[in-house]
Amino acid sequence: MKKPANRFEWMIALRFLLRGRAQTLLIVLGIAVGVAVQFFLSALISGLQVSLIDNTIGAAPHLLALPADRLPAGAFMGGGAERRDSGRVLIDERTEIQSWQTYVDDLRRDRRVLRASPVANGQGFIERGGAVIAVIVKGLVAPDGLDIYKIREKTVAGAPELASDTALLGQRIAERLTLAVGDKFVLRNDRGGRLVMRVGAVFDLGAAAGNDLLAAPMDQVRSFFAIGGVSAVEAQVRDVFAAEEVARDHGRQYARVKLESWQERNRQLLTGLRSQSTSSVTIQFFVIVSISLAIASVLGIAAVQKQRQLGILKAMGTSDRSASRIFVIQGLLLGGIGSLLGLGLGLLMGWGFVAGTDAAFGLEISARTLLTPIALALAAAVTASTIPARKAAALSPIEVIRNG
Amino acid sequence: MADAVLRTRALCKTYFGKVDTPVLHDVSIEIARGGFTALIGPSGSGKSTLLNCLGLLDPPTSGEIEFDGRLIRERNVNDLAAFRNGNVGFIFQFHYLLPEFNALENVLLPCWIGGGRPAAETRREAQRIMERIGLGAFRDKAVYELSGGQQQRVSIARALVNRPKVIFADEPTGNLDRESGQAVLALMAELNRESNITLVMVTHDREVALQADHIYELVDGRICRTLDVGRSGREAAARELEDRSCTFKQ
Ligand SMILES: Nc1ncnc2c1ncn2[C@@H]1O[C@H](COP(=O)(O)OP(=O)(O)OP(=O)(O)O)[C@@H](O)[C@H]1O
Ligand SMILES: [Mg+2]
Repeated sequence: MKKPANRFEWMIALRFLLRGRAQTLLIVLGIAVGVAVQFFLSALISGLQVSLIDNTIGAAPHLLALPADRLPAGAFMGGGAERRDSGRVLIDERTEIQSWQTYVDDLRRDRRVLRASPVANGQGFIERGGAVIAVIVKGLVAPDGLDIYKIREKTVAGAPELASDTALLGQRIAERLTLAVGDKFVLRNDRGGRLVMRVGAVFDLGAAAGNDLLAAPMDQVRSFFAIGGVSAVEAQVRDVFAAEEVARDHGRQYARVKLESWQERNRQLLTGLRSQSTSSVTIQFFVIVSISLAIASVLGIAAVQKQRQLGILKAMGTSDRSASRIFVIQGLLLGGIGSLLGLGLGLLMGWGFVAGTDAAFGLEISARTLLTPIALALAAAVTASTIPARKAAALSPIEVIRNG
Repeated sequence: MADAVLRTRALCKTYFGKVDTPVLHDVSIEIARGGFTALIGPSGSGKSTLLNCLGLLDPPTSGEIEFDGRLIRERNVNDLAAFRNGNVGFIFQFHYLLPEFNALENVLLPCWIGGGRPAAETRREAQRIMERIGLGAFRDKAVYELSGGQQQRVSIARALVNRPKVIFADEPTGNLDRESGQAVLALMAELNRESNITLVMVTHDREVALQADHIYELVDGRICRTLDVGRSGREAAARELEDRSCTFKQ
């Protein structure tokens, strides 16, 4: 008994909407524009954020275990928390990490951590044809060390393998010194050390500062710079936003190293991202409010316009609930059709944006950016239709019939 | 009356508002099953009010209504609506057709309300009814493209389609010119004769009333005269309507 009655309501709702075609079209377009703007904005802002985050940490560690020296002494010495390493800081641990294998193992055991690897850093110089340029030398361990910097993925020439006397060069260094795969050059350090190296591969990390990098096997870099331990332990986590929490969890267990997440090193970026999100939520909120008001007013007018019809339908046996559902269904139809159209419009806007500008970032089209505007528009439509729906339920057929 | 489809006992109706308006006083009538009953009386005497109470559209203030042997007590509006759908049909002075639908779709609306999409058999029945009342050619026409008489005939078909026990008509020809009014009335009288659907009609036209089997005359919300045209014959009834001014029997 209930199902056919529902079909009756859908049928009436559809006819009511089709009858006022111009009105229906206007409101559907209104919803579509609202949804399109909402979708486009949130896809754009998410895209921008994803690309900002990717630029910042896509080819970089998400968290670092650094020697204790970098931290003010009081910060890690206090508290009675249990330590997994001895609380006493060794002299050379002020600049290096000695027992790095413990930290690497600990981090790797954490399911949130994608990869972890020790690294030895130094400042070097390459001289060639009278030019001397400074390079950041990174001593890495394969495979995690290479993958944190996406060196294997971003290699443009040569084979990205770590081997003795072989250097993997960032694109910028290679270009400035006109070095190609197979070429030999001399790497110096400020203590007078000298190493003849062969270019094993050239990688291009894009705009990132990574193109000033020279990567070499860690052990060779350690002996070249006379580092007894390692400079840091670096890690990437699965969910980049969990880095801070992972750093906090592990940092609590260690006294001799300090864990630092990318968030801590990029406070300003985070503040920027947050205010972007806030403004996008604000815009979405007002779009929703205007959609709701538009639907409420159009359906409110419709409820008055259709009084005669509703009166006779009720006289012929339509129940109050059925009458009110006719308007909720109209709201649903308007919201549904409007938001589908809006999504198409939004995708078109997005396509136009990507094709028409040379922005360094794309649109983030995900289930969230796609479905949120639809869900919000539908919810707004149904909520807005409750006002005329209530009016329709309260209408008494005898009023209509008595007043002609 | 042996077989009454409708009975009222001491029906009273008062409209409450800033000023309370008592409209019906102690109305006790019976409507013969399958018959044609006319309600007459001067303007404002309460004919429409009584018809709407009988049709279960407007609840009386007090008194009882017995519909087909069932005492209609204070019932939920939705239950009453469902009951109306299956048992009564209405024809009003204005046609109240839905402009969103064509003629046939309008006729089928009561079926939709009662049970969703009408079955093929129901649709054929609706078409038969439309053909019977001369609307065969106008099935697919938009209702606003029809003449007043055609529109009123569509609403007659709509009232008939669910095979109700009683059809209530409130001055169904009030909005029509004399000729099409006559045609509509003749049609209704015919339909009443050939089926056993009971017809209750409000009219202020004595000629029309004289075609009925029973006439109730209302004055100031009271029944002042009851005529059994079938028994007394049309002439006697006509004379009675002409001659005597209505007086209340105490
Ligand atoms: N909603 C209402 N509130 C107050 N009074 C009402 C209401 N509806 C009707 N009345 C009054 O009830 C009385 C009877 O009205 P009703 O419409 O039943 O008369 P009627 O006999 O059908 O008249 P007509 O021949 O003009 O159609 C009138 O005096 C009218 O003013
Ligand atoms: Mg009246």
